Amino acid sequence: MIERMELFRAVAERRTNEIVVMTMTATLQWPLVSDSELDFDFLAFGMGHAADFGLGLAIARPERKTIVWKGDGGMLMSLGSLVTLARYAPENLVVFLLENRSYEMVGGQELPPRADFVELARASGFAGGGAAGNGKVERIDSLEAFQDTLPRILTEAGPHFIVLPVTNREKLPPVNHSDHAGRIRTLRKALKVS
Amino acid sequence: MSEKGASAQKTVRKLHELGFTHALMIPDSESRLLYEALENDPEIDLITPCREGESVAIAAGLWTGGLKPLLVIQNTGLMEAGDSLRGCGVGPRVPLRMMVGWRGYGGATAGKLPIDSAYTFTEPLLQAWRIPTWRLMSDDDLGTLELMDHTAAETSYPAAVITGYGFKP
Repeated sequence: MIERMELFRAVAERRTNEIVVMTMTATLQWPLVSDSELDFDFLAFGMGHAADFGLGLAIARPERKTIVWKGDGGMLMSLGSLVTLARYAPENLVVFLLENRSYEMVGGQELPPRADFVELARASGFAGGGAAGNGKVERIDSLEAFQDTLPRILTEAGPHFIVLPVTNREKLPPVNHSDHAGRIRTLRKALKVS
Repeated sequence: MSEKGASAQKTVRKLHELGFTHALMIPDSESRLLYEALENDPEIDLITPCREGESVAIAAGLWTGGLKPLLVIQNTGLMEAGDSLRGCGVGPRVPLRMMVGWRGYGGATAGKLPIDSAYTFTEPLLQAWRIPTWRLMSDDDLGTLELMDHTAAETSYPAAVITGYGFKP
């Protein structure tokens, strides 16, 4: 298991020009380590669809990677999207699946215990899939292994679907759902889209 | 007046004129000829998600990144995609361009019973979201695509055409 904030710190330290899309509890903790106009808070934009939004962004902006922090509960809400990602995801999409086996944002209720997200991604055709056939599915169980692997993930051709079993010891900041229209236009401005 | 249904080939030509880069579409029986035309089109990239909620979110991502997608979505899929349309279109005022297939229109207007509930709720649903709509029922109505496109751009809000008779070649 990996402490979630340590994951976020590891990515924030190495991040350069990547777009970062996040949802649910990641929207509360990622801003503690990052303050970038290329960060996009997907909270309240559509349950379960953060990686789908990231797919559109990655296709539109091939010059940089798009990273998505997504939860396992959200993944269950749109399992079919794994098949879509496996077919269309470009080389610059990275999906980090934060696996805490619970609906943490709404009280920590348990997820279906036997769902295996690595196997689901593989069965969807993600490994060896994606638009260019470079799709990679991995599970990383420790911070040390993640730190060792991260430089490769951020530079090699993907798409990547990385399952990360996480815990969280830290108190979550309060939820902020405000200004959806402003959030999306801030990102467009940062991408220099008119 | 032209015969019922718009030409798929003419519709695609109009989409070229309007500068669409992508179409998000899941095949259905009434729009299959448009699907086939887009599948074979070299200018517009066709993306076929598994469910319509995905389509809306992918389209919003494409637009945020500077591209111009069209959502082609049957009314039943529109109903499934409600939260995604709310969250990725209506709420953040993303100018999603939509072509909504009106399943049940032909039967209902011909007096066939039972009325398909998908027919009954299509226009009220779009009205509830305050999404402006135009009817695309034949080649005579192809100009509605331009109206829909310009309205979405000017208002920065979703806009839709509704197709009642499907497509002919």
